[in-house]
Amino acid sequence: MKDVEAMFGPLARVEPGAPGGRPSDAGARALLASITAEPPGGGAAVPTRARRRGPRRLVLGLAAAAVAAAGIVVGPGLLDNGTLTTPSYAVTKDSHGVVWVKVRDFRDVAGLTKQLRDLGVPAIVDYAPPGQKCREPRATYVEDIPQGLYDPPTNIPGEKNSWQMRIDTRLFKPGQTFVWTLTAWPDGGSTTSTILMEDPVKPCVLVPDDRMRSAPPEIVAYRLATEKGRSLAGYRVDEKTVGEVVPEIEKRGLKVTYAIIEPNPRNLGGFAIDPHKQDIPVGKDWTVWEAQESTRKSRLIRLLVTKEHLDWNPVYDGGSRDNVIKE
Amino acid sequence: MGPPVDDEPSARFEAVYRETYGRLTAYAARRCDSPQDAADVVAEVYTVAWRRVDDLPEGDEAVLWLYGVARNVVANHRRGEVRRQARTAELDAELADLYAASPESGVELSAIGEAFRSLSDDDRELLSLVAWEGLEREEIATALGLSRNAVRIRLYRARRRFSRALAEAGVPLTSHGRLAPLGRSL
Repeated sequence: MKDVEAMFGPLARVEPGAPGGRPSDAGARALLASITAEPPGGGAAVPTRARRRGPRRLVLGLAAAAVAAAGIVVGPGLLDNGTLTTPSYAVTKDSHGVVWVKVRDFRDVAGLTKQLRDLGVPAIVDYAPPGQKCREPRATYVEDIPQGLYDPPTNIPGEKNSWQMRIDTRLFKPGQTFVWTLTAWPDGGSTTSTILMEDPVKPCVLVPDDRMRSAPPEIVAYRLATEKGRSLAGYRVDEKTVGEVVPEIEKRGLKVTYAIIEPNPRNLGGFAIDPHKQDIPVGKDWTVWEAQESTRKSRLIRLLVTKEHLDWNPVYDGGSRDNVIKE
Repeated sequence: MGPPVDDEPSARFEAVYRETYGRLTAYAARRCDSPQDAADVVAEVYTVAWRRVDDLPEGDEAVLWLYGVARNVVANHRRGEVRRQARTAELDAELADLYAASPESGVELSAIGEAFRSLSDDDRELLSLVAWEGLEREEIATALGLSRNAVRIRLYRARRRFSRALAEAGVPLTSHGRLAPLGRSL
């Protein structure tokens, strides 16, 4: 049986044992130069992936927004049924040229684009239905994004299925357009991609989007369990230890599983779940940040845990469950 | 007088880069569907390595460490968590050369490919590290941060699942479990 590998060895695009590219080639040398042009250790904190935010934030942190040219924000709609509230969007501008955008209906993109442009934001907003995306590339991406040009979209406290973001109109250079693509998912979640591009930007041509196809359902098919009407209603687990809450949950006849979360830096909020880093045994002294119930298996609870005890709750905006869920 | 202390990380990183670039680009090309994706992966892996240059091991372990980073980068990439990297059109074009020949030709090979793709990411990665990168069990353990025993067990299971998938795909196994590949010279 050991020789099964011999069977698919020939499938390798680059033959086993053969090298791929040459480090002496121009592109390879340019890459090396551009990487080592930054100080080692990384000048800015660049999260390595889009971050999943917790239950009430139907937004994944577009953490890389300020430093990378593109990012994808995904709100998988872990918890709530998607009823859209009105009005669909609000755009306000303060006297310093900073625009605040609140979006509640992801489909009225024409109105939103117009309002943004009226307030001096060179923006294009497109709606891509679930399973589709705008064909890339639409334009050259701006690599050098000024710090503070825009903040990643975050949820609006106390509201479901809505986002707000801050854009500083003073920091746009002529010829740059802020390209925003929104998708509303049937489960109430939503996705956005925010990319700063050089003009001209081609119109959005919808093409199939397979980026989410591989998102493992065992990672996303959970919703808040400690809410009214759910399996752990009335029992708070946040900021307690695993050893403390597991007996309480099992007493209710529920099974427990864990998701080891990787909190984002506090100022960014949110966290990530890396499916490949779930093998570590969870200790009784680990901290629980929230409990979720499976939407696929009955009576299965998943605890969001970290080994370290943090002095904020990464699952919730403002670092505390009380900020978000009023009881 | 030696070189200034500040130059050391960069000299060390450049040496690792030159030493591992061929293997890392091959790794990325074997796993990504397009040269652009492969270029993103290569750029991100080395960006991470530069950011964590203090953790970057010396010698033979460097490439294993980079494979471990690459494994996560590829997985993130598949989940659509793309970061635009410092890749250039030149780099894309260089990697595109690796995509010139289609690796799957012949009915048998495509059936094998199908069976292979039906496996989980973890199974495929383990089998690929053996078959494509030519790693020993111990090297895989180092690259993936697993114990040797865990690698042994997972590899055994992955091979079993692959054999089963092959049987379901109707690919004939010879008595030695080998299949003469068609349509491509080895």
